[in-house]
Amino acid sequence: MSEATPAIRVENLRKFYGDKAAVDGLTLTVPRGCFFGFLGPNGAGKTTTIRMLTGLTLPSSGTIELLGLRMPEQELEIKRRIGLVPDESLLFDRLTGPEFLEFAGRMYGLARTVARERARELLALFELDGQPRKLIAEYSKGMRKRLAMAAALIHRPQLFLLDEPFEGVDAIGARLMKDLLLDQVRQGATIFLTSHVLEVVERLCERVAIIHEGRLVTELATGELRESASTLEEVFVRLVGGVRAVEKLDWL
Amino acid sequence: MAAHVSAILWAQWRSFANTVRRGGAGTTAAATLAVVVWYGMWCALAAGLFVVTSRPEARGVVERALPGGLLFVLVYWQVAPVLAASLGAAVDLQRLRVYPIPSGALFGIEVALRLSTSVEMLLLLAGAAAGLAWNPAPGGAAAPAAFTVYAAFNLLVAAGVRHQIERWLARTRIREAMVLLLILTAALPQLLVVTGVPGPLRARLAVPASGVWPWAAAARLGLGQGGLWDWLLLAGWTAGAWRFGWWQFERSLRSEAPPEGAARAERRKARSLASHLWRLPGALLPDPLAALVEKELRTLARSPRFRLVFIMGFTFGVIIFLPVILRGGQWGAASPVGAGYLVMVGAYALLLLGDVAFWNIFGFDRAAAQTYFLAPVPLARVLVAKNLATAVFVVLEMAAITVVWAVARLPLTASKVAEAFLVTLVLAVYFMAAGNLASAYYPRPVDPEKSTGAASPMRVRLLLLLLYPLGAVPVLLAYGARYAFDSEGAFYGVLGFAAALGAAVYWAALDSALARLNRQRDAFLSLLARSEGPLVSG
Repeated sequence: MSEATPAIRVENLRKFYGDKAAVDGLTLTVPRGCFFGFLGPNGAGKTTTIRMLTGLTLPSSGTIELLGLRMPEQELEIKRRIGLVPDESLLFDRLTGPEFLEFAGRMYGLARTVARERARELLALFELDGQPRKLIAEYSKGMRKRLAMAAALIHRPQLFLLDEPFEGVDAIGARLMKDLLLDQVRQGATIFLTSHVLEVVERLCERVAIIHEGRLVTELATGELRESASTLEEVFVRLVGGVRAVEKLDWL
Repeated sequence: MAAHVSAILWAQWRSFANTVRRGGAGTTAAATLAVVVWYGMWCALAAGLFVVTSRPEARGVVERALPGGLLFVLVYWQVAPVLAASLGAAVDLQRLRVYPIPSGALFGIEVALRLSTSVEMLLLLAGAAAGLAWNPAPGGAAAPAAFTVYAAFNLLVAAGVRHQIERWLARTRIREAMVLLLILTAALPQLLVVTGVPGPLRARLAVPASGVWPWAAAARLGLGQGGLWDWLLLAGWTAGAWRFGWWQFERSLRSEAPPEGAARAERRKARSLASHLWRLPGALLPDPLAALVEKELRTLARSPRFRLVFIMGFTFGVIIFLPVILRGGQWGAASPVGAGYLVMVGAYALLLLGDVAFWNIFGFDRAAAQTYFLAPVPLARVLVAKNLATAVFVVLEMAAITVVWAVARLPLTASKVAEAFLVTLVLAVYFMAAGNLASAYYPRPVDPEKSTGAASPMRVRLLLLLLYPLGAVPVLLAYGARYAFDSEGAFYGVLGFAAALGAAVYWAALDSALARLNRQRDAFLSLLARSEGPLVSG
């Protein structure tokens, strides 16, 4: 595994459900140390792509390489190096926050005492240490996202795959998460982020890819946007055909 | 790998401990007592097996019964995971896939978990193995080793069966069909008591000690009658079971649900006919009442829990009355009592529907409950719409019961069908009146996707024990009039009076329920928002 290899390289990636293509010939390269935004309207194929990158879903065809390792051939090696915040909850509802983080740490190979110590620190950082006996089932949506983020950090991964990590998180929590992620990038980690909040993506990400109906429609540096004095939202709406003729609804 | 296994087992233990802690002392004590009684019973059975198999004079009985007994062990062991999959009582391996854990470790845990779901059979095997080894007759010494291999075979098959069934159960319609099948099976003993075990089936129940089946090989080895061939057979079956278990496990690990949009598109075609049916109220009623009724019909029809009890009404409801109907004599179908069975099945179907359609009518609907308070529609209309939708399903239920009755060639006349429809509808009016009150006073959030479990609170179910007979009194008076005056006119006259009284009770109860809902709307919405679900507490 060479440091020169990109963090993510996918070629001609396809995923079919029946005869419907969720992802259709996606080719993408994400360099190491990059904060990368992966955007698209609902149902565009973002979550399916992340699921394929993490090995949760097998692609119908195409190749995936993460950190120079091939998925699914080197699945375990890859999983040790990535941190995931999925769109759906993969938390265990009948555990408490501290128990879940300790469990996650141990699953990534940390010694029990180390996992417990890091869990304690992360819970304090994410302000989840107030009610240590509260079950995850009783957490709000924002608390669940913060806990998932803490679990993704516990083993210091080199690559983060984050699917809507700020959804439901309050402004303070979101700010904390953004600062943490930017700090991770400064330390050499790579972040692959999906979000519907385009302002956040524009502010955080160096590069952005937009996917629509399973296909990559553009990839650009956010610096180019600033030079062209247009916003990410304008580009996004133009590319995915989001301009609606509202005036046609004459009763509205 | 050991660290992963240890972490998973620890997390599983913590989940269990947290569940017990939240359950409270009473629940914990009750659960402990149930465990002690259940496993105590199996320990007693294992001890009995030890006594029987260790006695030289019982050798003949043991030789005849052992192959069948080992086959029973296999069947029981495979049924346990079916029930566990229905109830979701297993480690959620799908959630573990995100971690860097080898598939072999997960499979090992999965196989070990099958051990926990059939402790009963392990106890029986241990009792029998110890008894055979203790028996002074030669050959029994191999029993512990043979039964250990047989247990491993069962564990591996169970792991495979569980994963196959779990994937089936992930599909809603199949899950419902399986739950229904399990419930219908509960009626089988009653039928067998009345009809007796058929001769051909009885002959098949005798399991021979010969043959290549794993239970036969294990029995021969346990009895000291086997040799190298039987060891090879048992090892071969176990290797095959390992292959099967691993294959199924890998398929489950890789299985994935298609995106919701794709699944919805598939179902849309099948629903088109029902959609036309649900639009009928729009042709008969004014909006917004028609829109509310339509919404209720669609919501209930799409709820697995409602579909299950609805189907049970005309299947299980008919089956449990069959033993009495088929018996003949003064209680048989041709007797005067037998003529009323259609009504009884209808009333029983109401009981089944009660939990989901009468006693907690906002329970399924908690996401919409807030909307009812926001929308410019009187709350009374919402309740009436819900009740009208229930009445539609009661009529459909009665129609289905009648069809099943006719297909089963049970006695049926037009007057009895009309009577069954009318009596059931009158009963339904009383249940709706009581149900609206119960729904306003004791709302409880319910997951409509779950096929099993109670939908109404415990205190309501206790209250129902009183309410059911009370609600039936006016209808019973009609039957009393028919008996006393030997007149159909008297029967229908009193039934008409019962209907009118029911309507008065219904409107009075509706007012009371509305007053409660308007007075306690905060508490009402807060109760419905509890636990996981579409409503989120601020």
